[in-house]
Amino acid sequence: MSAKGYMGKIMMVDLTQGIVEIETISPKVYESFLSGMGLAAHILFHRIPAGADPMGPENIIGFVSGLLTGTGSLFTGRWMVTALSPLTQGWGEANCGGSFSPAIKRCGVDGIFFKGTSPTPVYLYVDDKGARLKPAQEVWGKDAVETEELLKAAHKNAKVACIGQAGEKLSLISGVSTDKGRMAARSGLGAVMGAKNLKALVLAGKKRIPVHNREEIKRLSQICGKWVKFQPPFVPGWLTGPIGTLLRILPFVATQDGMLYKILLRKWGTVSMNQMSVEMGDSPIKNWKGSNSDWGFFKSFSSNPDAYVKAETEKFHCYSCPLGCGGICKTKGKFSETHKPEYETVLSFGGFVMNKDTDAIFYINELLNRAGMDTISAGHAVAFAMECYEKGIITLADTGGQALDWGDPAAVKFLTEKMVTREGIGDILADGVKLAAKRLGKEAQEMAIHCGGQEPAMHDSRNDPGFALHYSVEPAPGRHTNGAGLYYEMYQLWKKVKGVPKMGPGYLKSSKYKKNLNHARVGKANSEYLNVMNGAGACLFGGFLGAKRIRIFDWLNAAAGWNFTPEEYMEKGGNIQVIKQAFNVKHGIEPKANRAPDRILGLPPQVKGANKGRTVDVETMMADYWELFGWDRETGKPGKEIVDKILSIA
Amino acid sequence: MAYTISDACIGCRACALICPATAISGEKKQLHFIDGQACIECGACGRVCPSGAVTDEFGLVLERIPKKEWERPYFDLSACLSCTVCLDTCPTGALTQERQKVGSTHLFPCLENEKLCIACGFCVQDCPVDAVTMGARQSAPPKEPVKAG
Repeated sequence: MSAKGYMGKIMMVDLTQGIVEIETISPKVYESFLSGMGLAAHILFHRIPAGADPMGPENIIGFVSGLLTGTGSLFTGRWMVTALSPLTQGWGEANCGGSFSPAIKRCGVDGIFFKGTSPTPVYLYVDDKGARLKPAQEVWGKDAVETEELLKAAHKNAKVACIGQAGEKLSLISGVSTDKGRMAARSGLGAVMGAKNLKALVLAGKKRIPVHNREEIKRLSQICGKWVKFQPPFVPGWLTGPIGTLLRILPFVATQDGMLYKILLRKWGTVSMNQMSVEMGDSPIKNWKGSNSDWGFFKSFSSNPDAYVKAETEKFHCYSCPLGCGGICKTKGKFSETHKPEYETVLSFGGFVMNKDTDAIFYINELLNRAGMDTISAGHAVAFAMECYEKGIITLADTGGQALDWGDPAAVKFLTEKMVTREGIGDILADGVKLAAKRLGKEAQEMAIHCGGQEPAMHDSRNDPGFALHYSVEPAPGRHTNGAGLYYEMYQLWKKVKGVPKMGPGYLKSSKYKKNLNHARVGKANSEYLNVMNGAGACLFGGFLGAKRIRIFDWLNAAAGWNFTPEEYMEKGGNIQVIKQAFNVKHGIEPKANRAPDRILGLPPQVKGANKGRTVDVETMMADYWELFGWDRETGKPGKEIVDKILSIA
Repeated sequence: MAYTISDACIGCRACALICPATAISGEKKQLHFIDGQACIECGACGRVCPSGAVTDEFGLVLERIPKKEWERPYFDLSACLSCTVCLDTCPTGALTQERQKVGSTHLFPCLENEKLCIACGFCVQDCPVDAVTMGARQSAPPKEPVKAG
């Protein structure tokens, strides 16, 4: 085949029949939707019938690599898993780094899809001799780390993605793990694997990944790499809290250059933002009801980045990542080694449940990584249970005598362990807060914070209304990785793409809460660009370097031999958004139903703390956003003409 | 385009034994065959073939080179970004990573098991920032001592 960056084929595995087929995909599909998530959206829309049960044989789960993965471009080692989500009943997607992404392409395909249900537990093994399903009884019941170790011992030089006990037990907040603790966590896709009796993918292919112009790709990588290496000394961890306080107090905001965040990420990883985020009002506290003033500066100090990095013995780089925001830590207690907890995990089990016990967070991080359970959703479930306990909806009789007081690390550990094993109260919580509230009765609804079933992340939409918009309008709702006002600043798209909103050097903080069309224009550009990134297999953090420093559009042209403009790539991102939205409509999702809940929109507004008095008018933003895409302003549904045009591409 | 084996093959099996993609099949003392779909064009088969039977896509015979003369990858740690691309692209798993810079917790690639290296040069080709070169082993400088911490 000619060198195009992509492999031009997918693997379709029928688990019911035990058949593996290789299908050739038209170049037109890649030209219209790129690879990665775009390719998956194209495949899944056409092949999952309306009315399919997410846990049934008709659902298809796909593992896709990005178009740029393996081409010599940097920050492009993301792999994505996608299916009809059992958590939201709509478009499901999750995204992960580590070393698994190129392994998909080295099997000669851009994606591996599974339909049907295996009668017994199996795993897929692919090497140079082809693909076959193998019995998984020996690893069924094992956690994700044990599973990976056993399968790697059995298959030399293989990469593994697998589920832990949470996926096997069909927890709707379970994900897919790789590299002993990286996880494609969201949308509950681990449960889809569990329902299909699919324990793991074990990939040992060695195919070369063809590219059109390797020298140009390298030239662009050298530019990007130089920016990553620029690392001036930065403040100590204990100062990040006061910086957050300062950012809270100041009435104006300097437009963020992503280089600052890059410096933080290289020094500490995502935990760099922990205390700063709490102090500035970005991280929700006490199940979205509290504020930074409730947890307090000194308790939040337990989350300062040095508290985590001091345990780090070596940096962890995902494939093709020059940054290395991950880390391997030596820890006390049951687990001697763990991936460094990420920002989301630390704050989901920190301020969100009012816990300041760092050792407990290290333990819970590893426990959930091994179980293959989403730490954001699990943190929400714990906070939800604690608030229910506070209000008398959950009692000691429900917990077997364990009190669920805010901030008690024993209670946090108890609930997490029970969710992993699905015992007692844990069985009620292990499918996320929406179902937990349904099981507990209507008084619990107010405490169940979710967008269409998906628990949102540790970024407060009252601090950055862009989060409220993307939590509400994205086909996979409640996700912090799809867009925010801050992200748009860091992307600096206006320096590469014509027609998107330009930002000056700074603005008044109060302007973030005023009604104007710019919110929606920024949101549209965010969605389109992220779809391009996910089609390319690019990392969000790489994207924060800014479009002039990480040349996604140019890399794509060099890899595939195309000559598309940045504006044309943004249109392709829009194509992907249309498919995903149409997918939701096809499966009975009313886009309005994914709107963020009142509590996180500041309805009613908070009376103290960083986000005091703030309310986000998300309805107007949603309607504006849909209208900009040409969809119905009231319902959020794309018209037939738009959908038919996109879906006719084959 | 994959490599091919000509009639000059004597069936010694050296190529089949070294092929990292298990793309070569054939009985001992009989003509061997390269599966074009599986071949990754690493050239190892040609480097070990004693009878000059392996040809590339242009029909040129790959030259046999004694193993002791095979070039080895050398990593320029000042340019290396620790991105692990070279580790992934190595078809034999010959590369590992370890701490090699004083005061840095980033890991850098190294050729830990020289016997596994087939001198394919994929690590050189794929390195995003040209931090890898092939050379005689003696040309590699001694490693910097590593301090804990």
